[in-house]
Amino acid sequence: MTRRVYLDHNASTPVHPEVVAEMTPYFSEVFGNPSSVHGFGRDARAGLDLARERIGGFLKVPPDQVVFTSGGTESDNFGVKGLALARGRGHVITSRIEHHAVLRSVQALETQGFTATYLPVDEHGRVDPDDVRTAIRPDTVVISVMHANSEVGTIQPIAEIGRIAREHGVPFHVDAVQTFGKVPIDVDAMGIDVLSFSAHKIYGPKGVAGLFVRKGTKMVAIQHGGEHERRRRAGTENVAGIVGFGKAVEVRARDMHEEAARVGALRDRLWNGIAARVPDVRLNGHPTERLPGTANICYRHVESESIVLGLDLRGIAVSAGSACTAGNVEPSHVLVAMGVPLDWAMGAVRSSLGRSTTAEDVEYVIESVGPLVAKLRQAMPVGAA
Amino acid sequence: MRYSETLVDHFLNPRNAGIMRQPDAVGEGEYAGCGDLARVFLRVREGRVAEARFQAYGCGPTIAAASAVSELIGLRPVDDLPHLKPEDVERALDGLPDDRKHAAEVVADAVRAAAGQWLSRRG
Repeated sequence: MTRRVYLDHNASTPVHPEVVAEMTPYFSEVFGNPSSVHGFGRDARAGLDLARERIGGFLKVPPDQVVFTSGGTESDNFGVKGLALARGRGHVITSRIEHHAVLRSVQALETQGFTATYLPVDEHGRVDPDDVRTAIRPDTVVISVMHANSEVGTIQPIAEIGRIAREHGVPFHVDAVQTFGKVPIDVDAMGIDVLSFSAHKIYGPKGVAGLFVRKGTKMVAIQHGGEHERRRRAGTENVAGIVGFGKAVEVRARDMHEEAARVGALRDRLWNGIAARVPDVRLNGHPTERLPGTANICYRHVESESIVLGLDLRGIAVSAGSACTAGNVEPSHVLVAMGVPLDWAMGAVRSSLGRSTTAEDVEYVIESVGPLVAKLRQAMPVGAA
Repeated sequence: MRYSETLVDHFLNPRNAGIMRQPDAVGEGEYAGCGDLARVFLRVREGRVAEARFQAYGCGPTIAAASAVSELIGLRPVDDLPHLKPEDVERALDGLPDDRKHAAEVVADAVRAAAGQWLSRRG
């Protein structure tokens, strides 16, 4: 049987066995609606409360400032739109490399009369805090900058941006879906008012995420129909998922520092091994301020999807930096914003390592990449792309 | 797997990949939508394809299609090649997903261009 190596942890992660065990009773034994007043409901409510306490404790915030949602995309939509719409009209600042959940939310606000500034990034994918300061206007109502980018892993200078937001009294939303549970987050020191985070990136279940909303932050709900989540977010809570989320966070609090060191070393070995064997490659993202498990590598003059397919056929799961959909290739908006030339950007492949990744896995990938890229380049027209 | 075994085999073991020195004809096909490019080289003897080679830039199916077509047109009369259809290429791959049909188109375009060049030189 072909060896299987999963290097796509930024896309999703397997649910941790301890999380599965904690969730299981909540599907059939503790099934009540947490809004019901009877015992069944109260039991389910207790599960929600415990998860909220665990997550609040991890973030060092009061549990009642944690709101549960259906996923990172909803959290980002809620964070950006909830803050903006509570202020009627105005100006929104974000960056060009945000997840589409933020970018499309800001674009949706623009169709409703808001204006927006999309900040550039440097060659490492970092926002310059001075650009944030310059972009702020008297009518700026929201600043939204991600903590780390999912494609290249670059970590933003959030504390500096948060300080600027505070100085100007502008609410600050941070999409931390890729960093929560992987690198430390201090919402007070970083000046964060609203924080998006998700379960399935940290060995929790899909379909559950959260939003920290600092007490006193004016937000409007974007989903209506109930009094759930302190009237912030209508809809019966995904109790089993939220219970699992709470457990996943508890496990991360225990494991994340040790794992970051181990995974970071494997990631560096992956890059060094590939760079030593394959010519015309480059590593994207910040050299040091980067997610521990992320290595985004460009293979010049090779189309990324052909590498993804070739590795998939060897049992290796990575993701393409450019996607060909119905005959239209879209180079990554992140790499384009970083100024990566097209002949490099089209060959971007992201590997994201995680808790199950072993040194043997990494060596297998290194040994697989070289011959594959050589073969693809042999078939390549000189000077194409 | 969303691709046929034939396609995967051509992708993993491309036949006739690489440049041909002093070909009798060269043709290119390009798919502007995604930048895919195929280049087909022909060596012609007595009006038939004696050897075909290719270079391709693109997603896996495009490379596989170019490999398959290099076998498909072997020994065929060049007079027949202007009639090569994308469907012929797709059949040689045992099918293509809807969102990868362009792989057959770009390769068929390259073959027709190469044949056209040879036929116009022959006069």
